[in-house]
Amino acid sequence: MTDQKKPSWLRVKYNKSEVSEISEMMSALGLNTVCKEAECPNMGECFKKRTATFMILGKYCTRDCRFCSVEHGAPESVCPEEPEHIAEAAVKLGLRHVVITSVTRDDLPDGGAEQFAACVRSIKRRLPSVAVELLIPDFKGSNNALDIVIAAHPDVIGHNVETVPSLYSDVRPQAVYTRSLEVLKYIKSKSPDIRVKSGIMVGLGEKKEEVFTLFDDLRAAGCDIITIGQYLRPSVSHVEMKEYITPEMFEMYKTQAQSRGFGYVSCGPLVRSSYHAAEALRETDVHS
Amino acid sequence: MNKMYINMPHLSAKSSKGTLCVYRVKPGDKIKKGDIVAEIETDKVVSEIESEYDGIIDSLCREEGDEVSEGEALLSLDKGNPSGNGKQK
Repeated sequence: MTDQKKPSWLRVKYNKSEVSEISEMMSALGLNTVCKEAECPNMGECFKKRTATFMILGKYCTRDCRFCSVEHGAPESVCPEEPEHIAEAAVKLGLRHVVITSVTRDDLPDGGAEQFAACVRSIKRRLPSVAVELLIPDFKGSNNALDIVIAAHPDVIGHNVETVPSLYSDVRPQAVYTRSLEVLKYIKSKSPDIRVKSGIMVGLGEKKEEVFTLFDDLRAAGCDIITIGQYLRPSVSHVEMKEYITPEMFEMYKTQAQSRGFGYVSCGPLVRSSYHAAEALRETDVHS
Repeated sequence: MNKMYINMPHLSAKSSKGTLCVYRVKPGDKIKKGDIVAEIETDKVVSEIESEYDGIIDSLCREEGDEVSEGEALLSLDKGNPSGNGKQK
């Protein structure tokens, strides 16, 4: 299906000098971005606006999800300076909203929760008015790990369910749909003022009724913000893309999600988890 | 002439190649920094490549439909006299 002609709506702008400037700054600080590692199509647009999503805990993921282009491999040691480096980069970039995600680190006793928390503390110490958003793994469902992250009190905690449960065995075989829902539910129950966010990809062969049920599941778990975007196959070795979802279909999903009461719905072909994240938080707060 | 090249950028961490779909400029066109000069298709999307310079398009280096590798020249342009007095040295 990757041989299909790309539809006109899958078009992005690329400015080499803007991308190079941000990339070089990240390299100099020894930081990774998920923008680059996951080959996000919006990198040109976001870097031009001087926004980026930091990816902590190394470049190598202990899981091997079949949709994701982040490399699977032996994990690196945890860098104790990483939280300060991220805070420094946030200062240099003049960020008002910082998004941090990680590779999944099933090898660490806390799954990397303490490193997430340390990043929040470092940023809040240097930039107290800046919003911090975390996009976390499922920590294998560990409430202790979630407690560590929640205690740092980020403004938003996201955890992506990624797709409908019927496709988990093909797309996300090392994860469990209900466990991901429990993660979201636990965060909301422990700290109702933290905005809870999740995201999905469409175009993997899901049925629209399954997507509607997923919306219901997320709302029942207390999810405030949802992102819905087109799955784009990184390479032929990744799970197949079944179809390009049309902008009209995305509009339909957006209407359906809004009708279920999400505080903010970000929905479109090129939407990704942290795309326009600051706007999502702002709008959610306005409508809460 | 102060000749500069616009090269195929680093669009993908996993592949250094893309397909040159179309040029959006032709020789003799006057362009500004930020104008779109070409469209490159990679695995995920079509990227509209913005010019890094102001100038006048000198030549197109490839054919539309060609596979291009990172670093290869897409086109050349004349940036004019860097001293700004309009005269060639």
